Amino acid sequence: MKTSLLTLSASAIALGTFASAETMTVGLVAPLSGGGAAWGNAMKGALELAVEDINGAGGLEVGGTTYEISIAAYDSHYNPNDAVTAVNRLIYEDEAAFIVGPLGSAPLAALVPVTTENKKITVTGGFTPIAMAEEHPYSFRAVLPTQIYGNPQIAYVVEKLGAKKVGSLFPNDETGQTMANDISTGYEAAGADASAVDYYERGRVDFVPLLTRVIAQGIDTFELDGSPPQTAGLLVRQLRDLGFEGNIVRTGGDATNDILAVAGPEASEGLYVHMEYDGSLDSLAAYETRYIDAYGGTMNAFSPLFYTTINMIFEGMKAAGTVEDSDAIVAEMAKLTDFEGPAGNANWMGQEVWGVMRQQYIPYAIGQVTDGTPTVIATCDLEKCE
Amino acid sequence: MNTTDTTVAPPAPKSRASASGLWTRLALVAAACVAAGFTPGLLPNLFYVHIANLTLISGIFALSLWIIYSVGQLSLCHAAFAGLGAYCSALLSLRLGVPPALSLVIAGLFTATMAALLGAVILRLRGVYFVLVTFLFGQMFTLLALNWQDVTNGANGLISIAPIKLLGISFGPRSMFFYLAFAMFMATLLFTWALSRSTFGRAFNSIEQNIDLAESCGIDTARFQVIAFAIGSGIAGVGGALIAHYIRYISPDTFTFHNSVAYITMLVVGGRSIFWGAVVGAAFLTPLPEFLRDFEGLQHIIYGAIMVLVLRTLPGGLISIPSTLRRLTGGGK
Amino acid sequence: MDMMTLLIQAGVNGLVIGTMYALMAIGFTLVFGIMRVVNFAHGEFYMIGSFIAFFTYAQWQLPFVVTILAAVLLVGVVGALVEWALIRPLRGDELTGMIATLGISVVIQNTALMYFGASPRPMPDVISGLVRVGPAVFSWSRIFVIIAAALVIGAFWLFMQKSRTGRAMRAVAQDREAALIQGIDVEKIFPLAFGISVALAAVAGAMMAPVFSVSPFVGVTPMLKAFIVVILGGLGSIPGAVLGGLLLGMIESFGATLLGAMVADMLQLALVIAILLVRPSGLMGRKEA
Repeated sequence: MKTSLLTLSASAIALGTFASAETMTVGLVAPLSGGGAAWGNAMKGALELAVEDINGAGGLEVGGTTYEISIAAYDSHYNPNDAVTAVNRLIYEDEAAFIVGPLGSAPLAALVPVTTENKKITVTGGFTPIAMAEEHPYSFRAVLPTQIYGNPQIAYVVEKLGAKKVGSLFPNDETGQTMANDISTGYEAAGADASAVDYYERGRVDFVPLLTRVIAQGIDTFELDGSPPQTAGLLVRQLRDLGFEGNIVRTGGDATNDILAVAGPEASEGLYVHMEYDGSLDSLAAYETRYIDAYGGTMNAFSPLFYTTINMIFEGMKAAGTVEDSDAIVAEMAKLTDFEGPAGNANWMGQEVWGVMRQQYIPYAIGQVTDGTPTVIATCDLEKCE
Repeated sequence: MNTTDTTVAPPAPKSRASASGLWTRLALVAAACVAAGFTPGLLPNLFYVHIANLTLISGIFALSLWIIYSVGQLSLCHAAFAGLGAYCSALLSLRLGVPPALSLVIAGLFTATMAALLGAVILRLRGVYFVLVTFLFGQMFTLLALNWQDVTNGANGLISIAPIKLLGISFGPRSMFFYLAFAMFMATLLFTWALSRSTFGRAFNSIEQNIDLAESCGIDTARFQVIAFAIGSGIAGVGGALIAHYIRYISPDTFTFHNSVAYITMLVVGGRSIFWGAVVGAAFLTPLPEFLRDFEGLQHIIYGAIMVLVLRTLPGGLISIPSTLRRLTGGGK
Repeated sequence: MDMMTLLIQAGVNGLVIGTMYALMAIGFTLVFGIMRVVNFAHGEFYMIGSFIAFFTYAQWQLPFVVTILAAVLLVGVVGALVEWALIRPLRGDELTGMIATLGISVVIQNTALMYFGASPRPMPDVISGLVRVGPAVFSWSRIFVIIAAALVIGAFWLFMQKSRTGRAMRAVAQDREAALIQGIDVEKIFPLAFGISVALAAVAGAMMAPVFSVSPFVGVTPMLKAFIVVILGGLGSIPGAVLGGLLLGMIESFGATLLGAMVADMLQLALVIAILLVRPSGLMGRKEA
């Protein structure tokens, strides 16, 4: 049954694509609407710009064949069901060579069995350890999880900013629950009390009761990590509305532009923010200009990170001489070191933490918002921030 | 939503089915089975098989919702019962190692029992108030699944749920699952059909038409309503368990209020006067978003517009197309 | 922060969300009382109201009074048209009408998404600054919401009590046949009621826009809350909607402040279910069937 099915669909493909044998489809599944849209659209922009580079240069040359690349992008709505349907479509209908996405841990947990079974490389932004599990060898991650970048930054916040009692609110879902755990462990290890924690339903907009509760516990610092970008903006605004005068920090998940947009420069003044990379690089300024010219608005910092990983996959394809044999491509990708990207040089890491090396690592930084723009005040590596 | 001030013309196609009509329908069912045997091989690729699988499960949900509707009640927590079944079956197989084929059955019975208990308490609420309480229970379920982390693993959901194995055959792969889903769908369909023709079905129908009249005729309406609610919700529980063992991952997001509303939409768009409408609605609405994918941003707008348009032009749902056409062409029965 | 301050803080915030819920729920319950339709698109009109506020107040810098008037008139007229074109033909069957509003909701929300994009737009406050009463701190923008919402609810109340049309509406809600016999033109009352209902949602959206920012999805939560409020207060009962809205706002605020958000959410639902089981028609509803 199974074999006849495969041959049948294989012949259908051969017929269907004979005329334009040199196109290759790459897929994207990410939230393009709703809460995570700021991140999802940044991923989509990264893929589009990377593909534009290649098609503009005459296509991707792999093993003597030149491929023109097309994109199939589907909205996951941040929902596991929709992500699974989208990924089935990408694999079987569009026959995507690899898949950028998904964002979020629940969608990833739901679809990674399908991509692993079909040997499709994915580039995720999900913080769940499933992304780095040994049984899913085609799952890569472009963005550092809190677990990795949290501790050096938290140490900085506690030592340099003198945080003693830290309050925070997290969305009550997989991301929030994982992060709450990572962050409170980090603060406690650094010698601060991070017990003033509460959870909210994603999509909530009124945080005043929860913030009142948290502030009443005598906090001197508020941690924004874990909340989606727009929510973080509302939190900053409502914290200041309640007369909170302590430090507000965000030790991860770039959201600075959205926070500034929602909370306004006045409420955001003095905010300490995580920067996914050193924001003062020239290559980055060039990428950001290009992104904003193409899409308008502001650029979320996820974009250059995904752009880098996507280019590493293309590089892996060239080196392996195949666009289909994912094992060979993954093996070649593993050999890439100090891969040049707009946000700095990328390397793989993760051996000690997860036993696999599929986590992209680019040096990151801490910034402080002054007059509506973040400036780098310390750069970080895996051990510390200075 | 069977309040007294709605006086729609009572639909009565059921009793008309003559003996020859019965044979035609049985032949149709047999033909469907034969056609289904070839379906996975004929579909262009596995994505279509996946959509077919989802459609069949939607069909199970819509049909089971129709059973509840047939006693004049509307459940806004149908997805919650699907979720209850899914969690029950997934946890039994994950934590206790119960074979999925067995846990599926237990999930159905468990969900039906829970529904019967709930129904006994809330079915004294009539009409729209019943609908509202089911809405609240649906919300409660979502919150419980999110917060009872020791059992449900919270928002992280349950991963690596085992696929269903029966007689050494694994129904994990999409094309194999199709046969299982089809069998379950046909079982639900035939059951619903038999039910609607039985004494139960006639009692159900008279309750739906006019609950006060049914009561004064000596029909124990509350009992029948609880039975219908338990049966319908139990089947939904099995459907939810099927999803759990097919996708092999569930989280509170898998079964939300929006899913409940989607099933009702299937019922209404397909046509509620007879259970075939539920089948038509599921078959039409489940794959529809995928056909509209090429319109990108317009996808959902067109979906919504089609919904409104169908209701506007065909108040009896898609299933009323033949009779509407007959009327338009001047004939009419 | 001592307990007293905490309670005052929670009380004022409960009033803010409570009045907003009340505004949403009044319109929702009005349509149900008169037309027997559960309007799932109610939240989308809230969203349209907040976008009107964004363009008139933040972009074109018109006075906020103009914003409110624009929201009422524009959304009111659109609402009446929607009733006339899409809901009227389905009258007589609650369920079909309900599903139709669901379709309308999908269309409106996604059209907004296509034109305005998903990212939220912040708005400047109508009145900025903080008020300090002893150790308690409130922002003027929130106090403003309470006052404005109270004024709108008051105006609506007067309209329903004193004006001919308002009385006619109440008559239709109470007994459609009797109203018909008295010579009330039900055909005119329906689109009017729908228009007023969604205009109230738009006012709520416009007033909350500076506080919660603006995006195509802002209407989803208020819609679900209005649903709960209406169950609590009793379907079709306007005083019930006001009472239910304030009560829910208070439960939410005090619950979240004292016990945390998750407990508050569960408590809220359990309380409403308990009330319904004791009083099946809500706090102030009439008995059904």
